[in-house]
Amino acid sequence: MADACGQLCSELNAAWAIAKKDILIYYLKPNIIVSGALFPLFMFLAFAVGRPGDPSALIPGLIAITILFSASSIEPVSIPIERRMKTFDRLISAPVSLHAVVLGESMSGFLYSIGIAFVPLLAGIILFGTPILNVLPLVLGLVLTSFCFATMGTLFAAYPTESPGDIMSMLNLVRLPLIFVSGVFIPLDQIPAAGRFVTYLSPLTYGNDLIHAAYAGTTIFSPLFDVAMLLVFIAIFQFAANRLYRKFNE
Amino acid sequence: MFAIEALSLSKQFGDLKALSHVDFTVSEGETFGYLGPNGAGKTTTIRILTGITTPTEGTARIFGKDIVKETIAARKQIGIVHETSNIYTDLTAWQNLMFTAELYHVPRALREKRGKELLELFGLAERKDDRTNGFSKGMKRRLTLAMGLINDPRLLFLDEPTSGLDVQSNLIIRDVIRDLNDKGVTVFLTTHNIEEANLACDRVAIINRGRIAAIDSPERLKKTIQSVQSVEVAFDSQKPVTVEELEQIPTVSEVLKQGDKFRLITEDPPTVIEGVMAFAAARKARVISITTMGPSLEDVFIRLTGLDIRTKGVKTVD
Repeated sequence: MADACGQLCSELNAAWAIAKKDILIYYLKPNIIVSGALFPLFMFLAFAVGRPGDPSALIPGLIAITILFSASSIEPVSIPIERRMKTFDRLISAPVSLHAVVLGESMSGFLYSIGIAFVPLLAGIILFGTPILNVLPLVLGLVLTSFCFATMGTLFAAYPTESPGDIMSMLNLVRLPLIFVSGVFIPLDQIPAAGRFVTYLSPLTYGNDLIHAAYAGTTIFSPLFDVAMLLVFIAIFQFAANRLYRKFNE
Repeated sequence: MFAIEALSLSKQFGDLKALSHVDFTVSEGETFGYLGPNGAGKTTTIRILTGITTPTEGTARIFGKDIVKETIAARKQIGIVHETSNIYTDLTAWQNLMFTAELYHVPRALREKRGKELLELFGLAERKDDRTNGFSKGMKRRLTLAMGLINDPRLLFLDEPTSGLDVQSNLIIRDVIRDLNDKGVTVFLTTHNIEEANLACDRVAIINRGRIAAIDSPERLKKTIQSVQSVEVAFDSQKPVTVEELEQIPTVSEVLKQGDKFRLITEDPPTVIEGVMAFAAARKARVISITTMGPSLEDVFIRLTGLDIRTKGVKTVD
């Protein structure tokens, strides 16, 4: 039992070391700032400018897409660069499990996303006076959605390339449609019934629902269901990422 | 207990058999050289022994720990210096060392103590807080080696440690390898520098096309090809001596020009020495130096791998 705890602590320490390394190296890289922070802002402006109604109502959606883009932008840039510099070999040859490597890489995307998400959150409070009705769903939504998309970024980065552009291209094929099918800008009840099935396959649907609950007080699914679905997606992405890194290291 | 046991290791990539039933053991405290031409299977062997990739067949054990089943326990005992100086160039030398130490679970007080010692040892203490993107190739290589030693490993994998380095870095790294060996650290060295392997290694394995061609001490390997002896000679002559002229000397099978000297390959050095002196007298050339030489480890390597790199570039002969 003590051995298992010691091993777990060692793995978590190593994961944290990987996350710290990413924070020091990659957070201020221009391509990360563009794809993780500026891109969601421009996406938001493209939808919000000229649209009738209260702009503060769009704050939950802005938070959701900010999390989607910022959380999933670190690893698709950092891991191909590390493959090219051969520093990724350090991680996969160290006395840590692949789970710890995937967790550490995901943690850096997660922390980046949490930090960036505070920008629209504070903008909503300061500029528009957007009230937050329920803090708990907001915290759960921020944490689980950020971690879910950070893990998704790590999963995509498993593709064995040394070019960040290769992974970003594949990732955008998934990220951009998610905005339209997850109720961020188009309410779920306005999505045609035939396309509704796709919304249930999007983790952003559940993250957005939780964040929306914090602001509007209403949800499409129950908050517990949203939390459960996000946990399921995190587990699937973590498992798949482990399998793919193992496969591609061969 | 052996430091490394490789038991019938094979690795298949699609149709390509990168390794075929590779067997060897490395004793604790031994410096073991692993030589082979490009594509022979050296990197695949290291990737298997360090647990990065799994063998298609066979088993590898590090100090008795199965590298596939007990990967983390096995890796805790090893340090790895990869072929490329894979340091984080956006971090300082100190941050690189501390990050590696954290990955290897070295406690904080110990990693700071060892970090300082290693930076002193490798002549990098004054550049401790500098980002490494401004480091020279030799400094990056020294830092890579320091990172490989931060966990005080019992077994060190060194992949081409001195390739293309300046003299100062070369000397520092060679001294460190010698000291490690004196302290009982096992070293697994892959290198293209055959003379380096000859000087540093207790035993050498030569791998070719995924199979071990020979394993023995450098001197015993040389004895296996005693027929490859040679006479090295330098002339002082107004009219330059040519390879074609020297090939006419009896019992000379091949002549190699090496800088201002000629190496005459033969099975009978005394006859060649007589022939050289007679040639010099007839040609009115003065012999400045003449030395008989036994086969080098490079000769063994060339003989066993079928490579002829001496005169016509790299050529594979079956």
